[in-house]
Amino acid sequence: MGNTKGHLAGRNRYGAVCCAVLAVWIILAVCVPVFGPYSWSEQNARIQNLGPSFSHLFGTDRFGRDIFTRVWYGAGISLLVGMASALINGCIGVAVGAVSGYAGRAADMILMRAADIIASIPSMLYVILITLVMGAGVFSIILGLCVAGWIDMARIVRGEIIRLKNSDFALAARMEGIPSMRILFRHLLPNAAGPAAVNLIFLIPQAVFTEAFLSFLGVGIAAPAASLGTIIQEARSQMIVYPYQMICPLVVLCVMLLALNGIGTLVEERIAGVRCE
Amino acid sequence: MKGFNRQKEHVLDVQNLVVSYHSGITAVRGISFFVNPGEIVGIAGESGSGKSTAMLAVMGLLDGKGKVLSGEIAVRGCRPVPGQNTAMIFQDSLNCLNPTLTVGRQIAETVRNRRKCSRKEAYARAEELLDLVGIRSPKMRMKQYPFELSGGMRQRTVIAAALACEPDLIIADEPTTALDAAVQAQILLLLKRLVKETGTSLLFVSHDLGAVAALCGRVYIMYQGEIVEGGITEEVFRNPSAAYTRQLLKDAGAKTVPSGPADPDQVLLRAEGLTKVFDTREGIEEISFAIRRGEIFGLVGESGSGKTTLARLLCGILTPDRGEIFLDGELLNPRGRRKEQLKKIQMVFQDPYGSLNPRLTAGQALEEALKAAGVRDRFSRREKAEEMLCLTGLSREDARRFPSEFSGGQRQRIGIARALILEPELLICDEALSSLDVSVQEQILGLLLDIWKNKGLSCLFISHDMHMVRRISTGIGVMYRGWMVEKGSTGKVCSDPWHPYTKQLLDAVPEADPVKARRIKAPVSAEGTEVFPDDQGKEQSGCPFVSRCGYALDCCRTGVPGIYRFGDREVRCFLYSEEYSGKRGSGYRMTSQI
Amino acid sequence: MLRYAVKRIMTGILSLFVLATVTFFLVRLIPGSPFMSGGVSQSVVEAIEEEYGLNEPLPVQYLSYMAGLLQGDLGISYQDPGTSVTEIIARAWPLTASLGTAALIVSLLAGTGLGILKVMSRKKAVGHMISAAGMAAAGIPGFAAAILLLLVFSVKLKLFPASGLYTLSSYVLPVISLSLYPTAVITRMMANALAAEMGKEYVLFARAKGLGRGRIVLTHALKNAFLPVLSYAGPAFAYLLTGSFVVESIFTIPGLGREFVDSISSRDYTLILGLTVFMGTVVILVNLAADLLAACLDPRIRRNFAGREG
Repeated sequence: MGNTKGHLAGRNRYGAVCCAVLAVWIILAVCVPVFGPYSWSEQNARIQNLGPSFSHLFGTDRFGRDIFTRVWYGAGISLLVGMASALINGCIGVAVGAVSGYAGRAADMILMRAADIIASIPSMLYVILITLVMGAGVFSIILGLCVAGWIDMARIVRGEIIRLKNSDFALAARMEGIPSMRILFRHLLPNAAGPAAVNLIFLIPQAVFTEAFLSFLGVGIAAPAASLGTIIQEARSQMIVYPYQMICPLVVLCVMLLALNGIGTLVEERIAGVRCE
Repeated sequence: MKGFNRQKEHVLDVQNLVVSYHSGITAVRGISFFVNPGEIVGIAGESGSGKSTAMLAVMGLLDGKGKVLSGEIAVRGCRPVPGQNTAMIFQDSLNCLNPTLTVGRQIAETVRNRRKCSRKEAYARAEELLDLVGIRSPKMRMKQYPFELSGGMRQRTVIAAALACEPDLIIADEPTTALDAAVQAQILLLLKRLVKETGTSLLFVSHDLGAVAALCGRVYIMYQGEIVEGGITEEVFRNPSAAYTRQLLKDAGAKTVPSGPADPDQVLLRAEGLTKVFDTREGIEEISFAIRRGEIFGLVGESGSGKTTLARLLCGILTPDRGEIFLDGELLNPRGRRKEQLKKIQMVFQDPYGSLNPRLTAGQALEEALKAAGVRDRFSRREKAEEMLCLTGLSREDARRFPSEFSGGQRQRIGIARALILEPELLICDEALSSLDVSVQEQILGLLLDIWKNKGLSCLFISHDMHMVRRISTGIGVMYRGWMVEKGSTGKVCSDPWHPYTKQLLDAVPEADPVKARRIKAPVSAEGTEVFPDDQGKEQSGCPFVSRCGYALDCCRTGVPGIYRFGDREVRCFLYSEEYSGKRGSGYRMTSQI
Repeated sequence: MLRYAVKRIMTGILSLFVLATVTFFLVRLIPGSPFMSGGVSQSVVEAIEEEYGLNEPLPVQYLSYMAGLLQGDLGISYQDPGTSVTEIIARAWPLTASLGTAALIVSLLAGTGLGILKVMSRKKAVGHMISAAGMAAAGIPGFAAAILLLLVFSVKLKLFPASGLYTLSSYVLPVISLSLYPTAVITRMMANALAAEMGKEYVLFARAKGLGRGRIVLTHALKNAFLPVLSYAGPAFAYLLTGSFVVESIFTIPGLGREFVDSISSRDYTLILGLTVFMGTVVILVNLAADLLAACLDPRIRRNFAGREG
């Protein structure tokens, strides 16, 4: 037990670090743009391309905007997109999966074939086309992410519901005369919560990643609004001369993604561990 | 220890073996035992007694699970080397074989590992081994994958792979536990024959005292990591010295004669011609029977005989393709029952782990049922739930605990409480005791019988264990492949079986008595060759039992026997038809034809 | 097996149809005309639109496009008149395909190797290092890795060329940045699957038969553990294709991804449409092939379906 306990303690410490990082990131993303001395959008021709200093922690960009403020503003937008789309995808996925798994037959057949078809088309292409149609912006990115993002969740929930539906305790509930809706909500869905929660957590970094990627391609968040991807893209033209303009947002983005992924992995391991017992 | 002298030339000699898990718990506390050449030695004990851990330690295969703290293990004076001087077979033959490699390859690789011979020689040897373990047309079987073989054949394959090691000693860890009675008898007889033919020794580990009694010359009884008793099987079984052994034997051989409030005239539930057909799963065909008020009706049959399907039809989870069910003389609507009809039949499930919702406490699980039944008052719901828990031998505090905090036996008690809380009239126990240890089985069985007597319940008791059903039921139905092949009062059917299958079931299950157990028989076909009960062509006309039947007639292969009634007995076999036995007068008394 | 294959192929065809249809209408919904830029007079725009058939009603355009599609005709580029979309694809595809295939092979080999190493290694540090590296590789987005690699190895150290895809050494950085993420995923899948296989009873039985640990991994566990990895190869290829947008534009490689990014910025609708349909087709076909291959390798699927047919 000694080594497994040590192992667990190590994992817990690592998990605490991930959570702490994420908390700090969220606080900074809220506070810096609101309480900071600089504006994230106001241009100032006198202080273009300054290096990092005490007054401008990450320096300024070629329009004289404070990069520190912009980076945290962008991080906030990225997190907002990630969490909102994960939440929407989670809800759609759970609903579709639950209906599909519990109703079975025709409903299951139709929903799952539709999911197969959507899933077989590379989703990135969709997001790009939708942002082209709807115009760049937070809303169209979220919409684009929600076209195909719910499918994994729906498949996971469906599998769990089908497994649980035929379990002895679900049969017992039916014999006791408990109404179907109550069986689904009180007996089946809570038992499917673990895998669904893991999937939900992983949806956030995926969405953040996709958003950053699209903004980097120039089809994501449009100016003057900015996400981390946009800021990285803006710095690209000068990356050889002023590499810190690009490296600062990159590091903020990477640490954020690592923390989110780390939390997801730990929750996954924890749930798998509980299942084994 | 009983008086037998220690020989110097033991095949296996284990002295003072102590094994602990990594958690620090000592699983095996200094056991010593030995095996002589060509001998079959049994190690019996309940789950958690440390038998399997001890065996893995002997094989040197513990790695992740635990550590040998002290002890000496010698196989013919040397260290045990898996695959060279020792081999081991396990309970679950499906998991023991790699699903994506052919059977032939898995045996041949063992041969090559042992002998360093050419691939061709290895395959030839593998074929010989399959023939030795009684698999017909081994050449064809070699090319198949494990999932294409039946359970019995897979276990034979595993035994063949173990024999390929040409070991001095084979350790068999619960090799027959997962198998049906008839197949179990075959494997037991096969092991006996192999020991005689190959001269290897066998260490047979099992929780089943019957199987141990049937096979072993000497036996050790293990309890909580220690060997509490060891000796010649007859002596241990006849006058056990350890208290634990006495209890174990008492539990295994207990006779309970039910004397309940059975009312011979009042029929509670009647099924008429129930039929349900599935593509792949066990279906049932034309099943009719009745359960009287206050009766315990036993339903026996091996896995795949349709017992569970029948249970699910009765409690309304499945809809029959044909046939009707009457409860209290009232026809139940097959498309959906009324709530008060639904709650009159409740079920206790086999798996104590799967039958409780892990997210609800024991109390919540019980209250759910009351809520659905329309008990609005929270206080009275809780009161009732706690009362039920007390009735099933748990405490009021247990209502706040989750299923994961209970042991298997305790969970089964909660399952019984849940089934009883709606005050049903018929309780269906679907293999409710099968997954429990012998001593826990006895406790739960005692509880069920108490409740049955006090509450005036009727009970449908489903089990694969003929002896268990025989002990407690007043009426019995024997099922085979979806047919009810024989039905009657328990006393008559068990003492004088009419259907050949019933007779086989009674013969194949070893009792915990060495003299009786050694008389077990495996199914033999009319031609006198050993048959594979679970290896039949799926598309066959006629009686489904024909390939296992020693009395098969020509008409059994082509025609379908009807159900023949004689008084309160029914049998579905051509031996009892008028075509076979001739026209009968009205005063004719049928007797067993086998 | 046959039934399974037919079912999968039917789904694939249906997906292709939906893809083409949805993309067609989405592209037509994009606001603004590609010919409006640069103060061109209304009459000129109308003339051009007539030439491209854009003045016809939408259903007619759709039918003629689909008819063209069936013959492999994806239309003519708006911005580069005289060049058909098919020609552009024929020019760009080999670059993207060679990059994608190289990255797929690298990530399969590296991922499998690292996964085996992680499970088999007796040193704990090795396992921890592989886990940490995998976390980092899965967490850092591909474009970030590409930029960092470019900055360090091409700009600062000048070890590899910064653009183009002409010599073998110019493959190194794009392939590394493309394959980081799939390698991390495959390593994790392989390690998890292999660890799960090694805990199964048949491995215990194989050891009881006297087989060595290495032998068990190679002949028994690896094949079973490889099945989930194989089914990931399809999605991985899809990822590599779409991932190549960024890598190609960062390393200035004139592949499909760069054409796609260019076509977006220049609103070249036929090219957007054609490239989407083409890439979608490739991804669907690759997924199909991976699924069928996985089914072939698993005797349970193979025999089950064969049994039902016969």
